[in-house]
Formats: sequence, structure tokens, C-alpha cells
Amino acid sequence: MRTSPVRNGIQTGTIFGIIMVMMFLIGFTVIGAELIGKILGNPSISGMPDLIYFVIFMILVGVWCGVSAAKRPLYGPDSVKDAVLAGLSAGAICGLCAAVTGFIFGSVAANHIDVRAYLVSVSPESISMFTFNQNPTLGALALFGVMTLSSFLSALVAVEVRTSQKIRTMIENTSGSISETVHSQRISDLLNNKYARYGFYLIVAIALIILPRTWGGYWNYVFGTVGIYIILGLGLNIITGWAGQLVIGYVAFFAIGAYTFALLTAPVPHNLLWNFWIALALGIVVAGISGLLIGLPILNLRGDYLAIVTLGFSEIIRILLKSDLLTTFTGGPRGVHDVGGPTLFGSSFNTDVDFMYIIIIAVLVVSFLAYRLQNSHTGKAWVAINLDETVARATGINAFVSKLLALALSAAIAGLAGALFASRNQFTGPDDHQLMVAINVICLVIVGGIGNIPGIFLGAFALKGLPEILREIENYRMLVFGILLIVMMRLRPEGFLPAKRPVLEKFTADQRSSTDPASHPGNLETNTPPGKGK
Amino acid sequence: MENKSSPRFPLLLRVSRYIRPIVGVIIAIFLAWQLYSVIVVQHNFSADTWVRFGLSGLILGGMYALIAIGYTLVYGIMFMINFAHGEVMMLGAFGGYFMLELLRFIPMPTSANPNLNFLNAYPIVSIILAFTAGISVSALAGYLLEKIAYRPLRKAPRLILLITAIGASIFLQNLAMLLFGPTRKNVINPDILDRGAGWTWMVSGNPVLIPYTGVFSLVLSALLMIGLYLVVQRSKLGRAMRAVAQDKNTASLMGVDVDDVISKTFIISGVLAGAAGVMWDIHMGLVNHYIGFLPGIKAFTAAVMGGIGNIPGAMLGGMFLGIIESIGPAALGIDFQLKDVIAFSILVLVLIVRPSGILGEKLSEEKL
Repeated sequence: MRTSPVRNGIQTGTIFGIIMVMMFLIGFTVIGAELIGKILGNPSISGMPDLIYFVIFMILVGVWCGVSAAKRPLYGPDSVKDAVLAGLSAGAICGLCAAVTGFIFGSVAANHIDVRAYLVSVSPESISMFTFNQNPTLGALALFGVMTLSSFLSALVAVEVRTSQKIRTMIENTSGSISETVHSQRISDLLNNKYARYGFYLIVAIALIILPRTWGGYWNYVFGTVGIYIILGLGLNIITGWAGQLVIGYVAFFAIGAYTFALLTAPVPHNLLWNFWIALALGIVVAGISGLLIGLPILNLRGDYLAIVTLGFSEIIRILLKSDLLTTFTGGPRGVHDVGGPTLFGSSFNTDVDFMYIIIIAVLVVSFLAYRLQNSHTGKAWVAINLDETVARATGINAFVSKLLALALSAAIAGLAGALFASRNQFTGPDDHQLMVAINVICLVIVGGIGNIPGIFLGAFALKGLPEILREIENYRMLVFGILLIVMMRLRPEGFLPAKRPVLEKFTADQRSSTDPASHPGNLETNTPPGKGK
Repeated sequence: MENKSSPRFPLLLRVSRYIRPIVGVIIAIFLAWQLYSVIVVQHNFSADTWVRFGLSGLILGGMYALIAIGYTLVYGIMFMINFAHGEVMMLGAFGGYFMLELLRFIPMPTSANPNLNFLNAYPIVSIILAFTAGISVSALAGYLLEKIAYRPLRKAPRLILLITAIGASIFLQNLAMLLFGPTRKNVINPDILDRGAGWTWMVSGNPVLIPYTGVFSLVLSALLMIGLYLVVQRSKLGRAMRAVAQDKNTASLMGVDVDDVISKTFIISGVLAGAAGVMWDIHMGLVNHYIGFLPGIKAFTAAVMGGIGNIPGAMLGGMFLGIIESIGPAALGIDFQLKDVIAFSILVLVLIVRPSGILGEKLSEEKL
């Protein structure tokens, strides 16, 4: 029951060809070349990156295409021939797609027609780079050649690597020794050693005290944002990761916290000018109460309805904040300016370094809270509800009250994040509370590892920190998030750092049992990685 | 644990049991009072204004109904909220827009009018071509969406499907933004469907314009809905769809190819969304990457309002929502900026007070 390798290759090649064309149409070919230039240590200061980086980019795409085409027909009698054939045909089809696109746009550009009225990202420079600064025919031929050749060669190499006994044993040995090191008794001993742990904590604490002073305003801004998103992620994790209720409109509570804080401390529109800490506490409390009130009528709904209702709530709140109806009360579309900063013992405590400390402390407090909750009775009740609500009820858990508590806590934490965000920016407006904030948070929780606290840290750094460092991909961030969500759900729904406890049976049970009967979810012990169990 | 947690919040529990009826009654009283004060006491608007609102609501409702049917079909069969459905409609709108633009650039000079282009030389053909383009793009998008994103998750829990659908929605929206730019694009209709033209109807002494584009959209959406109803009720595919919606396993035992039926369901919902998208082009005249999001959520509201899984319910819900949305702000005496709040409030209220919708859900046992 083997499909023909050429057909296989044509399928892969079509997919990669479409990806290639799309990347060109959204202008990602230029950005990709720029990124490669940056990585290779030659940032182009102005204008277009060098052609050579674009060629490298194309070759990388070709290599990826060839490797993935060669992967599939590897297990058969003629595997080497098949795989190379697949790689060649994939490269040819992918190159054909690129060549046709290059030829069409090259001819268009040669006739001095600007297509940017319809396809904004296709600039003449990008076209000329796509065709290697040649005329359309030559450029198309070159594109075809580069793609086919790189795909063919990479398929050849991939097959060599896979089939050669020597390399295989080498890889196995290396990965074996790495996993041995990771799971070895010595490291787990070291982790369990009290003094080693205290030493580690001490190093982290010193680093957290010193770093904000030394790395300057820009990094304080970046990591402040990351910290606020960590807080948000930890909050959302309570209701979504542990209690298993997807709340899309999480940004509503963020907005409530931010606005409560801002209205209490800003001179306009109410001129209350409260103390930072009291306003912060009140922001948390108001957000928590709003979570309670919103949760009361809706938490009995089934999962996807709940998600949509919360989305409705958050949009209602955003539109109300943006409308003229509440201008006198909340500042309307212009938002609230001059939001108060923190004070300490009567003196101002408002530099970016000070604020970084406040965010760090808030992150630490919230993660401590989350750790304690995770191992508490309530936390276990949430997990039980997530796994199977009927069974949880049968064991005497009051599911409704538990979920309500989870939502209120989540909302309170979001309120804290919102208040900190408003205070740090000294401004809050309706556009700070777009749905995209909530979707960012959902993404980071899911990518990092839903239900797992270190995972959320990882997710926040990856999704909020990296785009700040890689400024070029700023425009593509949401696109990447969309792809990431789809791919993660398909390949690794439990995230990069999966939760150790069987929190995610609900997410993985069906898939695992359908693909791999050996690891049936009934056996929870198999989910615990060796050396990490309690 | 057994006996601890239930008496812990006895008051809260008792309150929560009565909260739905109480919320319902309070809102009903509030609405009645507002309606009374606006229509009877203040009397701001004369009859022709109300007719105008109702008309635009009806036209909008037709589009919502077409999109809502897509939600309902998919929910009925797969029990998932196809969050990306609004984006499918947006892609259809872009397909129609580009076809109209393309035809506008094809010169067709005649002796009487040297500046004539294809769009105005053959307007009916142009409109048919635009609809064909939009519908093909949407149907293809729906098909690919199902094949690439949803099919591998056929057995996954619904939350995973929902997150995937949100991912697909973000992806398509941003792809469209990066491809076509964030600016709004004006759609230029053929002259016979000029947006300002229409019949005038005298209501209480004032003229009310009934735009040709609106009538065109309304008639077309009605025809499509009748067509869909016939397909679902009469054709073999429709019977297979209903069988799969009722029980996938039994249907596959009876020889129905479940994967194929699901694929075709996505194609049908894509076709309807694409038609709605091109109608949006022709009637509203503005396209950008964001036009799918709000209509998508509103159409979902409509589908829930009619009872999700229920096709006549979705049609009724769409019409109803369109009318409420355009009459609502005036009738309740609130700002017109808040018309989206009305739609979202209806969404929230319907889900809280009566999650099974007006006509009731038609869903199989396995999903609840």
C-alpha cells in the first residue's frame, strides 16, 4: 500500500510551492533574507538585504521541502531511490510554482506596472530580488533550478543520513547520552538537594535584583511587558489550564482592572488621585468581583458556548469603553491619561527600574500563589472537573462553585496585570483592550504548556519577548500565532513543556488512543517522565 | 471532601439557581420600559424612518442568515464552532472584489461610448462572474480549512477544535491583511447596480429609497436559502448530511462516507458565505481584511438564536438579528455606535437564558 514516490513528491512540492508563493506575496521573502543576513552577522542598515541572503533563504526552503518529501517513502525496499525521486519531484513542482510566480511578476514589473494597489507587499524591489535581479525568463529559470537542485541534494543527504548505519548509531548514541544526562540520578539528586536548590534561588534572586539596574530602559520595557503577560498567563491558566473552561474574553477583566486603577488615580475625569497600592488592591478586587458576577450566570454552559459568551462580554466592554456614552465616566475613545505611578512611603517610586521590581515581585507572588493552588484541595478539584465533570461531581466536588472560584481568581489576577499595565504606560484606552490581547494570552498558555507554570514563563518569553528582539517579524506576528495555534493543536496539544500531572488527558486522550494504542491514557503513570515524579 | 463543599456556599448556590429567570425578567421589564418611552413618549422618529431601518435590517439579515447557515450546518455535523467562517466570507468578498476590478480594466469600446469597459458592457455577466469568483474562493477556503486544519482533529475534544478554529481565523485575517493591505477598498459596481439608485416609496409623505442592490441581495439570499433547503431535504447528499448529523457511526455503517459528507458540508457553507461576501461587496461597497469578523460573530449569534443545528432557525435568527440590529439603537433610544453591543448582548442573553435557541436545537445525543 505504498503511494508512488513521484506522487508523494508532487503533493509535498505543491504544498511548499503554495507556501513559497504566499511568502513572496506577503513580502516574507525579503524579511527572511533580512533575518538570515542578521543571523549571519551582516545586518543591512538600510534598504534591501543582499541577494546572497535571499539565495540562502531559497535554498533553506528547498532543503526543507526535499527533506520532508524524502521522509515519507523511507521505509520500503527501494527506499533510497524512492526518497530521492520524491525529493526531486517535490523540488521541481515547488520550483515550478516559484518560477511561474517570478515570471508573471517579473514581466509585470518589467512593464512598469505597480501592483501595490492590490497586493501591498509586492514592491518592485521585492520582485527584482525574487527573480535574482535578472530578466523574468532568466530569473524564473534560476528559481526553478535553485529549488530543484537544493531539494534534490537535501533529499539525497537526508536519505544518506537516515540509511547509513554509521551515522544512525552515532545519532542514537548522542541522543541516548543526552537523555541519560537529563534523566540521570545525579541531576535529580542535585535538584532535590536542599542546599543546591537554595543556592539556585539565591542566584536567581541576585540576578533579578541586579539585572533591571544594568540592562537599561529598553530591556526593562520588553521584560516588563513579558512579566505582565506572565501574570496574565498564570491567571488564564487557572480557569483554562486547570478548570478546563476556555475563556476567550479574558481581556475583559484586564480592562476592568486597568480602568478601575486608572480612574482612581488619574486627574481626569474624576480627579481622585488615590494612592497606588490602594488603587491596585481595589483594581484586583473589582476585577475579581466582576469575574464572579459574569461567571454566575454562564458557568453552567457547555465549553464552546462559554468561550463565545465571554468573547461577547469582552467585546461589549470594549465597545462601551470606546463609545461616547461613557465619555464623562471613563474618558471615552481617548482613554485615561496621566495614570498614577507607584509611591513608596510617601516618595515617588516611579522610574522604570522601580517598576520592573514591582512587576517582578508581582510575578513572583502570583506564581507562588499558583504553585500553592496547584497542590491544594481546590486545585485538585479543578483538575478533576477538567478531566471529567460528572465523575468529579460524583466524588463530591461542587463543580459550579469550584469553577466560579477559578474564574474569580483568574479575573482578579487579570485585574492586577491590567492595573500594572495602565500604571506603567501612564495611560489606558479602549485600544489597549482589543481581543488580540486575550488571544495572545491564550496562545502563550497553549504554546508553553497548558496547565504548567514553567510552561507559561516559556510561552511568555517566546511569544512576547522574541518578537521584540526580532523586530522584522513584527507585522507577521499574528500570522505566526495563527499558524502556531493550528500546528500546536495538531502535533502537540499539551504544549512545549507539558504539565506533569494528567491535567491534559482531556486534550490528548482521544488522539493518543487513536494513533498509539500502547500508551493508553488509562495508565496515568506513563505520563510522568522518569526522575520527575513525586 | 464529600460533604464539605456543597454546604460551603449554600446561599450562593440558591442565588445561582434563580439567577437566570431573574435576569430574564429584569431585562424584559427594562426593554419594555425603554420601548415605551422611546416610541410612545418621545416619538423621535416618524414612520418612514422606521421603514428605512427595517429595510436595511432585512437586507443585512439576509446576509447574516446565509453566514449563519454555514455555522449551523457545520455545528450540526461536527459539533464545532467554525470560528473561521467569518473569514471564509471575507475571502469570498475579496474574490468578488478582484473579479469586479479585473472586469473594470477590460476595455470594450463601442462607437457610442469609447470608455466602456466589460463591467458596464455586460453587467449581468460581470455580476455572475463576480459571484462565481467569490463563491469559488470561499468554497475552496472552506474545503482546505477542513482538510488541513480540522480533519486531523476529527477525534479530538471540542476545545481543541475551537482553538484550532480561532487559530485559522487569526491566520486568514492576517494573511488577507498582509496580502491586500489594511486599507479599505471601495468596490465599484456596474452602473445598473449603482448604490445610490433605487425605487422610492412614499411613507407618510416622505420618500423611502429602496436600493436596487438591497433588493438584489435580499432576493438572491432568499433564492439561495430555498436552494439549500431543497438540497438538504431532497437530495441524496442532504440525506447523508442529516444522517451524519444524527449519528456518525451508524451513518458510516449504512454506507455513508462520513469524511466526504463533512468535506461537502464545508464546501456548501463556503458557497453560502462566499455569496454573502459578494453581496457585502455589492451592497456595502467596502472591503478589508476585517469585514468577516463581526458578521461572523453576529451570524453565530443568529445561529444560536435560532437553535444551532437547525437550518430554518438560522435563517430566522439571521433575519431577526439584522432587523434588531438596525432598529434596536433607535428603538431603545441609545447611541448608534452601540449597535454592535446590541448584537453581543443578544448573544450573551440567548446563551444564558435559552441556550437551545428559539426553535430549539437539533443535535444528536452524543454531543451534549
